[in-house]
Amino acid sequence: MPVAGAIKVLVVDDQNSVRQMTRMALEEIGFRHIHEAENGVQAMETAAVQPLDLIISDYNMPEMDGLGLLRAVRGHPVARKVPFIMLTGRGDRELVVKAAQAGVNNYLVKPFTSAILRGKIEQVIGKLS
Amino acid sequence: MASLDDLKKTFFDECDEAMQQIEIGLTDIRSGEGNDETVNAVFRGVHSVKGGAGIFGFEQLVGFAHVFETVLDGLRNGSLSATSDNLDVLLSASDVLSDLVQMSRSGQEIADGFGAEVRSGLEQIIEQGGGGGHGDGDIAPADFEGLDFMPVAVDLDEIAVDAPTALGQNVYEITFRPKAEMLKKANEPLYVLRELRKLGELELTANSDNLPALTDIETDVPYLWWHATLRTEATREQVDEVFEFVSGDCDLTIEDRTPAPVAMPIDVPAAMSMPTIDAPPLAPEMPAAKVEAKPAVAAPPAEPAAAGGAGRTKPAATTTRIELDRIDRVVNMVGELVISQAMLGQIVQDLPETTSMRLIQILDEVAHHTRELKDSVMSMRAQPVGSVFQRMPRLVREVAAKTHKKVRLETHGETTEVDRSIIERLGDPLTHIIRNSVDHGVEAPAARLAAGKPEEGVIRLSAEHRGGRIVIEIKDDGAGINSERVLKIAREKGLVGPDAQLSEDEINNLIMMPGFSTAETISDISGRGVGMDVVRSNIQDLGGRITLKSVRGQGMTIQLALPLTLAVMDGMVIKVGTQTYVMPLSAIVECLRPSRGEISALIGTHGMLQLRGEFVPIVLLGDLLGIGSSAAANSERVVIITDTGEGSRIGLVVDELLGHQQVVIKSIEESYGAVPGIAAATILGNGRVAFILDVEKLSELAVHIPVTNNATMKAAQPALN
Repeated sequence: MPVAGAIKVLVVDDQNSVRQMTRMALEEIGFRHIHEAENGVQAMETAAVQPLDLIISDYNMPEMDGLGLLRAVRGHPVARKVPFIMLTGRGDRELVVKAAQAGVNNYLVKPFTSAILRGKIEQVIGKLS
Repeated sequence: MASLDDLKKTFFDECDEAMQQIEIGLTDIRSGEGNDETVNAVFRGVHSVKGGAGIFGFEQLVGFAHVFETVLDGLRNGSLSATSDNLDVLLSASDVLSDLVQMSRSGQEIADGFGAEVRSGLEQIIEQGGGGGHGDGDIAPADFEGLDFMPVAVDLDEIAVDAPTALGQNVYEITFRPKAEMLKKANEPLYVLRELRKLGELELTANSDNLPALTDIETDVPYLWWHATLRTEATREQVDEVFEFVSGDCDLTIEDRTPAPVAMPIDVPAAMSMPTIDAPPLAPEMPAAKVEAKPAVAAPPAEPAAAGGAGRTKPAATTTRIELDRIDRVVNMVGELVISQAMLGQIVQDLPETTSMRLIQILDEVAHHTRELKDSVMSMRAQPVGSVFQRMPRLVREVAAKTHKKVRLETHGETTEVDRSIIERLGDPLTHIIRNSVDHGVEAPAARLAAGKPEEGVIRLSAEHRGGRIVIEIKDDGAGINSERVLKIAREKGLVGPDAQLSEDEINNLIMMPGFSTAETISDISGRGVGMDVVRSNIQDLGGRITLKSVRGQGMTIQLALPLTLAVMDGMVIKVGTQTYVMPLSAIVECLRPSRGEISALIGTHGMLQLRGEFVPIVLLGDLLGIGSSAAANSERVVIITDTGEGSRIGLVVDELLGHQQVVIKSIEESYGAVPGIAAATILGNGRVAFILDVEKLSELAVHIPVTNNATMKAAQPALN
């Protein structure tokens, strides 16, 4: 059973407020190792120096969007298996299909509660203890 | 951890940025300067507002942003086109969105139908494009209904085994069994393990199988041994070095378990590529700051202790948000420092020369540094005027719509920076001037066509730095000022005498006199009893100057010249009688000691100074300030030529110039009240308080003090002989 406190998670969103809210929700669930990035390019820079167990990324970002990041992760020799959860808006239905094709593990519609976030994470990495 | 309120504040700050992005983008698209990325940026702006608003529960904001976003999405994917009608709706939508943001921020109740008209306008556009992509703004479901999506489960342990390290890392399996000799030589295994940990990420298991019962433990026998997995960028040699002093006194195995490098898949675009040891050249669109950070990742660092440090996991931020209060505190402290330094200078001057020589040198350096410190702190508080300009397009749109005119606003120099305190107080006067330009300046479309001008009027708003000041110009191509009408009204209102001879410029400047309003129909836009006189006094309160130029039939230009900061200024310390004053250096044109022949008596004036063929009225500053004539020797007196801002000059007679000094501006209005002719106060080097003169006001007073028997001139003339 995975322990939330031991999981290294990367939160990617260009909006600081959304990143902080996601962080708060993750901390509520019990996550302790939370890294942040503002866009896909920064996220890949972080992934280069930091082993990751989970990526939670927004879709709509400048520089490199969530789909670009997902493809970059999946094409990356080391990070390619890292579970990836995409944050989407309530209207981004088509995006989920594209993300599924690109190998996303799960999606999460904004806004969300920490309970929903937990559920979505557990669907991917199993029940958290 | 940040509180929810802090996060909301962050969110609204982001909204301000997004609104700016939206507004600029839409304006660009409208003027034909936009491209796909502009549309994308506008879309992202609205999307950000929507996303954050959803998280913080501002449902009305979400609902409106959603419809807005849908239209933008249509523009983005080409199902809708950016016709001028559609853009009008989008611009109104950005106004409504901005209002919703402000209302949400202030916690105001938002009426149900707010922005309904614009919203239905957006919905109509969506229908044109065939219904748009997605539904209305209902509460988000946790899942998309009917979507055939199965979450993909992953075993985290499997990932860990499969990808033990990030690129550029080595993995070593180490067993370390200290022998008794090691302890005897006073080598501590703990220190060795600590050294090892500094190299990177260390997974350490202690083996305590050999540990005897407590009573049997001998203190100089090592019972424990360790198994370690080290993930590090350090080389094998660096790992070996850790054990250098103990290798003979322990059983040690170090095995290299670094995985073989995996080739980069070919289909990864360059911009997404990762820095590897044999990294491909960086894509040119990578920002420079990031390129710098890369080599540290690819090459093993020189300092092994730095490996795995938390600081490197996040790219260095280039900006940081600081509370304004904190910066204000620094600004105040710098102000105090300027005063202390001036005091020190005063004391040093009074010392015997032998002692003071070196001190003066050092003091010069301190003065230099203080000035630089002041400039840097001021630049921290500086903000681009764009934040004020940004509010103007909407204003122009609204006033133009109400007055049924066609007006386009062009802005230039939005990035010009000026102190925040000025920015804050610039909004009102600028709003007023621009409102006037649209309402009174630019003619109705029919009148413009009749005058041979294009139907659409243009207002040009620009800012630039000029000679240590910021100059903001508002220029329209409207009708200009009807000077006959202005003069007629001014006479009716008794603002000028019935037979005063005024130049065109002087007449035009009358519109800034208190109580002047020329609009024949007092519209609900410009005529609310506040006129250009308020604008003028606003600008003067800021230590600025307003000038107005008008050409009949061609338009009007209003120029605002403002200081860059309100905290510190360059001043000339002057003496009148027993009093010391400071005159803003920016108001001084020149200082001179005229000879007898250069002063002429002219009826109705206090005296005229002939300066290179031009006559400049002069007045004794002591008289103006009501402190009487001075005790100083007459021949010592000096005339300071000042610029009043309306193109005319005046000479102020003072006793002595004491020197140029940076002074800290301390408001007296807050603690005492406004005094005509006095702008503020300051503390001089000798610790005494001196008043900073308001030269513009003094010039006005000079015109108005009665001339009795040429008394002033008589007093001035011997003074200047």
